Parts: sequence; structure tokens; C-alpha cells
Amino acid sequence: MPTTSLPESLIATLPGGYYTSPETFAAEQEHIFESMWFCAARSSDLGKPGAYRTVTVGRESVLLTRARDNSVRAFFNVCRHRGARLCTQESGEVSRAFQCPYHAWTYDLQGKLVAAPNLTKMPDIDRTAYGLAKVAVTEWLGYVWICLADDPPSFEEQVVGEIVARLGDVGAIERYAVADLAVGRRIVYDVRANWKLIVENFMECYHCATIHPELTDVLPEFANGYAAQYFVGHGAEFGADVKGFTVDGSDGLDRIPTVAEDQDRRYYAITVKPQVFVNLVPDHVIFHRMYPLAVDRTVVECDWLYLKEVVDAGRDLSRSVELFDRVNRQDFAACERCQPAMSSRLYAGGGVLVPSEHHIGAFHDWVHDRLADRLPR
Amino acid sequence: MIPVCRLADLPRGEAYRLETDPPVAVFHTDDGEVLAIDDTCTHQDASLADGWVEGCEVECPLHASKFNLRTGAVDAPPARLPVRTHQVVLEDGVIYLLLSDAPPNLPPCAVARAGGGFA
Repeated sequence: MPTTSLPESLIATLPGGYYTSPETFAAEQEHIFESMWFCAARSSDLGKPGAYRTVTVGRESVLLTRARDNSVRAFFNVCRHRGARLCTQESGEVSRAFQCPYHAWTYDLQGKLVAAPNLTKMPDIDRTAYGLAKVAVTEWLGYVWICLADDPPSFEEQVVGEIVARLGDVGAIERYAVADLAVGRRIVYDVRANWKLIVENFMECYHCATIHPELTDVLPEFANGYAAQYFVGHGAEFGADVKGFTVDGSDGLDRIPTVAEDQDRRYYAITVKPQVFVNLVPDHVIFHRMYPLAVDRTVVECDWLYLKEVVDAGRDLSRSVELFDRVNRQDFAACERCQPAMSSRLYAGGGVLVPSEHHIGAFHDWVHDRLADRLPR
Repeated sequence: MIPVCRLADLPRGEAYRLETDPPVAVFHTDDGEVLAIDDTCTHQDASLADGWVEGCEVECPLHASKFNLRTGAVDAPPARLPVRTHQVVLEDGVIYLLLSDAPPNLPPCAVARAGGGFA
């Protein structure tokens, strides 16, 4: 990297190979996505006992379900017998048990092996030891977070700490009652770009006035290029003539009643590394989860969350959803525009970050720290 | 009569597997009935005591065959042959069984278990 020859206004990005190398991606899968808390699903996706989802986390498929006692459980999606993938559907519901389609090893919703052909002739098989392998799981903000590490890091430090660092205190997000909101709309984007391009894009607003005309109309201060994430505890203020956080600045939905006065008419954004973006506005929360599937492919699942009574009443959410759906499409198109050039020989040494993007350097330092000495040479 | 267990030790909704040859499953239904059938599914070797009871039917945990707990009849395939039923006697809070002397309908692998070498 040409760090020594850069003018003072500029700092270097990661080299292009960080966005294209399968070896780098493999190291990230192991040392980032399989080592940290990962936001895997909305709790309401597992609406009742037996409902399940399968998600890809790092190199693993993880099976999420709700047991009879209503607790959320997470397991490696691997039969303990001969390794067949237990569930191949992305989501579904079983009445009582998960059964391997190969030899019919059958596991209850707590993962215990409850039946298998000839099992009673093998009384030495411990039904818990040969039950599904558990993955650490917790719920927060109405989401299911899992960690594949043998010894998971502190959830408080990794996840809650990141929100405190951005908003100043955890009470600031608690006032949005995120766990109690209902999913008004979910849109899944299949983005042909490396996950880090998406994180970097989300962290800066230097691009806002160029590619986000609707967002910049609602949040005029974005035209100066400084993202809400550049600051601590700063929310971008709605324009004076803007009524709500909608595609045309018209009225939004019912305000979340516990949102504080100084949070009203403001937009806050938080990145929870490695794969969550949260956007807070007075009447809804936009919650993005990334699933990095390949070095050049990332699925982004985005939920628009509103007061339950707003969703139950069937209120028209279209102008509200359309604002950030457009922002997402604009952002992901930009990321997909960058991805092919990451392998250009011109970009082998990377590009540069301007002052309003310099905080992205901290993200790059973090990636380096996570992968320190773990990248193949 | 073969003693099984005390009625108090078999809560409603649960089953007890008696290690006779062939084994017998004793069910205490949600309605309070105590009923006994052969424990081994007639389709493939699986314990019906590990299955799921609804009403007076048990569903095999492997392939969802259903057997009537009172008659032993097949209520849902893939099993084709019924299981035997056994007479239950309750005396002084203890469950006893009078075993059927009819020939059991055991699945192929449960019959052949001493021989081994089957696929």
C-alpha cells in the first residue's frame, strides 16, 4: 500500500485482493463470522414450537428452532450419524421432531436423539451425546443471535458495546422498543459484492448526495458528506419541511411512544460488526442482516419494523418502506459496481479514503486485527 | 401376570418400555387409560414407546405409522401388519400385564437381529 506517499487528506483502503481472494474470505469465515456473535433471524421467524429456519454462518449451516418450552435453540444442521444435511429448506415447521431423510435418525426440538432404526438394540448410545450439536444462542432486540465459537465472546462487549459506542448509551436504543415491534415488510437482496464493500458503504455518506436523492431530501445535512456514523450520539435531523421518513417526505406512521423528544425527527444509524446495520427513525426501525455467502456474494435481509398495532391494522407502509428500499438498491448497485474492479491491477494496492470516510480506516484496522497472521501467505 | 410399575410412576402422556422378548410398550393416555401393545413397530425396528400418543393412537417416531392402542390395528401406513395388544390389570395401584399368546408381527430386522448382516 502506498501509505507513505499519500497526501494528508487521504488514507489508504484495503488492497483489492481483500475483496476477491477466496483465501481471505475463508479466513474471514473462520475468524470473524464463526468466531463472533452473528444475528441470524428475527425471533418472530420462529413463531411457535417446531418452526425453524436454516441459515449459513461462515462455512456452517445452522438450524434454528423453538422448543416446546418456547426457548430458541440453535444446532449444527448436520446429522450425527453419517453427516447428512438435516434440513434443506430455508424455513418451515415440524410438528415434533427433525428427522434425517437418509436413515431416519430423529431428534426432538431440544436436539435429543429420540429415535433411530434399531436404536433400542444399541442401549449404549447416549441420546444426548448423539443428539444435535448445540450452538450458543441468545435473543436481543427481538433477534436471534448465535455464536459458533467453542468459547463465545461476551455478548455485552461485542454487540451491546458497539451500540453504546455509537449512540452513547444503551437506553438510546431501548427507547425504540425494537423487540416489541412487528415486521411490517422484509426484503431480501442478493448482492454480488464482497461483504466489506457493503459495510464500508453503510459507514460513509460521501456518496449520499450523488446516489441517494430521496434520502438527501429528507436528511439535508447528508449533502455535506458526513454520515450519522461519523459521530457519537448524533442523529441526522429531518429537513424543516419534511413530515416523516418517507420516500416523498410525507407523513410517516405512528411514532414509537417511548422515543425521546431529542430523538424525534432524527435518523440514527449503527453498524454492529460484523454483519448488522440498524437505522432508527421515530416511527420505525430498519434492521439489516448480512449473510456473506462467497467472496463476491452477500445476501442482505432487511426488516422494516413498526408498532404492532400499525402492522396489525394493515396501514399503508409503502411510502415508508420505499425510501430505504431505494437507498438499499442504490447502495447495493454501487457495491456491485465496485466489485469487478477490485481485481483490476490498478486497484491491487487499493484506493483512498477522504476525510469524511477516514473512520472506515478503523474498520480496516479491525479486519486486520481479526485476521492478524491468519491469512495465508 | 407380569408386574410393570406403579401407576403413580407412569404419568399421563407417558409410556413405559418393558424389556420382555419381544418388548412391550405400556401407555398412560391423556384420557387416563392404561393400554399395552408390542413396542416394536411392524414396519421397521423402532420403539413405539418413543413415539407420540394422541388420543388412543400412537405414531411411530420413525416413519409416522399409526397404531390403535386398543386394537393394535394400523391406522396409518407405511406399517401394514397390526401390533399385538396385551391385557392390562390394575391392582393396588400397580400395573400388571397378561401377555398375548398370539404370534407377534415383528419387522424383518428385529426378527433377524441375532443373524446380522442385513442391509
